[in-house]
Amino acid sequence: MILRDFAAPGVLSPAMPMNNSPDSLAESLRSWRVTPPADPGFRHRVWQRIGRQARASWPAYLRAHPAAWSLAAVVALSAAASTGTALARARTQADREAMVVTYLVVLDPRVQSLLKP
Amino acid sequence: MKYLLGTLAVLVLAAAATGVVCYRLSCDPAVHNAAARGDAMAWLRADFHLDDRQFAEIKRLHDAYAPSCEEHCRLIQEATKAREALKAGDPAAAAAERKLQERRLVCENAIAAHVRQVAALMSPADGRRYLALVLPKIADFDHRVAPDLHLNHPH
Repeated sequence: MILRDFAAPGVLSPAMPMNNSPDSLAESLRSWRVTPPADPGFRHRVWQRIGRQARASWPAYLRAHPAAWSLAAVVALSAAASTGTALARARTQADREAMVVTYLVVLDPRVQSLLKP
Repeated sequence: MKYLLGTLAVLVLAAAATGVVCYRLSCDPAVHNAAARGDAMAWLRADFHLDDRQFAEIKRLHDAYAPSCEEHCRLIQEATKAREALKAGDPAAAAAERKLQERRLVCENAIAAHVRQVAALMSPADGRRYLALVLPKIADFDHRVAPDLHLNHPH
């Protein structure tokens, strides 16, 4: 009776005569073999489903490419941080160099001897 | 494709924001403001973290140094004029040049001693940084400072 619910190719046919005795059920179960036909399109359809889900929403797209976008984020933010820091330091250094010269104009008589008429 | 471009745009914006934040955090606005105003004493105070007492002491040192600076300036100008008055082949020209160089050397030693006194009033780390910044410029006067001044820095 149970096997009537498994009406599929390769599965025991529901038309098979059934014997209700416990011994014959055990025998039937022992001889039961499932031989599903090979499906060459299975893998392709799985990837198609994944692709469809990835296109469904932005978070899903990101979840579908976590490694690539994580790497891109780390590289871009690190590069931006170091560029910003380097530019600021270069600017401070340039200011400092200019101020040393201004400072020495006041302090250095050799400079003043050149500038005074 | 739209998610790819959208993600790229967000990444670019985030990177730009990160760059701006890091730039702001790493900038020294006090040094920049002093440079924009051309205020050497404000720069000294900001860049070398001088407190009120240190700043007052350094100002006093600078004021005390000013008369000897004037005197050195006058002597160098005299020596320069004397040398320029002589023609190149004149035997006295070499002596005049030597005298000018001696006066410049005296001046260089005086200013180096002065900046060492100034550095001694700073914290040890700032004092070392100050000397590392100023002393090479004093020593390289003939090679670096003077040409800059001719062009850009009216007294």
